[in-house]
Amino acid sequence: MLLFLQTTINGLVLGGIYSLAAVGFSLIFGVIGIVNLTHGIFVIAGAYMAMALFAAAGVDPLLAIPLIGAVLFAVGYAYQRTIIDWAISRASVEASLVVTFGMAMVFRNLLQLWFGPDVQTITPSYSFDSVAIGPIRVDMVRLAALGASMALLTGLTLMLARTHFGRAMRAVAQQPLAASLSGLNVRRIHGLTFGVSAALAGASGAIIGIVQPFSASSEVAWTLNAFIVVVLGGIGSPAGALAGGLVLGLINAYTATYVSPALTQAMMFLVLVLMLLLRPQGILGAAYGESR
Amino acid sequence: MTAASSSSAPETEAATEAATGAPLLEVRGLAYDYGRVTAVQDCGFEAAAGGVVALIGGNGAGKTTTVQCVAGALRPRAGTIRFDGRDITGLPAHEAVELGLALVPEGRQVFQQLTVHENLLVAGRVQRARADLSANLDKVYTLFPRLKERRAQNAGSLSGGEQQMLAIGRGLMTGPRLLILDEPSLGLSPILVTTIFRLIGALNAEGITILIVEQNLHQTLTMADHAYVLEKGRVVRSGGGRELLDDPAVKAAYLGVA
Repeated sequence: MLLFLQTTINGLVLGGIYSLAAVGFSLIFGVIGIVNLTHGIFVIAGAYMAMALFAAAGVDPLLAIPLIGAVLFAVGYAYQRTIIDWAISRASVEASLVVTFGMAMVFRNLLQLWFGPDVQTITPSYSFDSVAIGPIRVDMVRLAALGASMALLTGLTLMLARTHFGRAMRAVAQQPLAASLSGLNVRRIHGLTFGVSAALAGASGAIIGIVQPFSASSEVAWTLNAFIVVVLGGIGSPAGALAGGLVLGLINAYTATYVSPALTQAMMFLVLVLMLLLRPQGILGAAYGESR
Repeated sequence: MTAASSSSAPETEAATEAATGAPLLEVRGLAYDYGRVTAVQDCGFEAAAGGVVALIGGNGAGKTTTVQCVAGALRPRAGTIRFDGRDITGLPAHEAVELGLALVPEGRQVFQQLTVHENLLVAGRVQRARADLSANLDKVYTLFPRLKERRAQNAGSLSGGEQQMLAIGRGLMTGPRLLILDEPSLGLSPILVTTIFRLIGALNAEGITILIVEQNLHQTLTMADHAYVLEKGRVVRSGGGRELLDDPAVKAAYLGVA
């Protein structure tokens, strides 16, 4: 029973991080209709930035999130307004699949050149502390990671629901033509959506850095994770990403504990395939309904 | 039944009416292609400030393409569009709105997963109308009490008529001087159609210039000061609304009476 509880807690913590790492991917697909295969790059870039800031100035990765987010927001915006927009307007939305795949390879190799191929970890002072909840122990870093993830997801949810920018993003997702007729600059909002997505991915990267080892090549896994989370939870909403992330985290933890740590990936994909067969719209369904 | 098409009906050439100053909207030589298919070719018309102008014609005549070019949703291949004396050809839609030109698109296109209120808020934030946001909301809710009742509901849950009201309300939130309505009566019950037309008349009485695209000829032509008949992307006939209504060729082609 204790093992089960401990595993469940681990799974939920992991799930919270998966959710945050995936929500931007979901947002871009929901608003622009692009499968952004560069998503994992933003996650890992966030982790490397957190590592560099921690090594150079001793900045705690969680406190570095605003700075990392701001930088990656600018990068994401510029990336959409140039490369992605060129590809879409000259070819098709589908072309973005090839373009983002190619860009992911370029960026992965650049990260490898810059930071080397070694697996990295960030170890802040509280790395080895833990909190006891009854008989269960939770690592301090994991608790902090979960807290930061939930705070950011809540912030995103509020922004989408309550602000003009959030409404504009949803309007553009549903009816791009009517949105432009209502005075919204659709291209600019696409760019900003990419910016928000990259910023959240970078934030998740900083959190991942203190919880798990990472390297440039782990970007592939984070793009895939985002994909699975979105299929599990449903497209386009933070709630969908949260549901999908938590389910994925639990699957991962239970498989590692009760089946075999070697089979976690296999189990994730098995669930992905089952989900696509049985409930392709995801647990919560598509946030933007029939618009796509 | 006389074959009206063969009779050389009095050619109502583009009546050079005593235009009081320059028209609010002036379209000349407009052309647009979808790939290799030409949808609009050498299309020209104008709308005097404060008037009601109609574009009529069958399916595929190029009416929607024409107004989408005017509103900046499509970029024309050729031609010029002048609004209030200014060349706005190729100006993107979100900038055209800022000049006071609002298109209520065909098929309503409300933001289905946003609430009624949110639909209005999104449009009400354009720069030209931002300062009047709450006044405009009041105005739309007064005009459409139904929308006020349903303000917290998702727009997708509204009936067709309510969605049309919302689409018009959304256009009004931008504080337009020219309101372009693309098939506002499409799919509505006869009673609702009458309601919508009465409303359009009221908006016009408030000073908003109306450009209406319709297939519902009788009510449209009754209301329009001036109308243009489009066929295969060209203006083939134009004249006063009533005048066209009595035109045997128009009757034969579009009203099914000879």
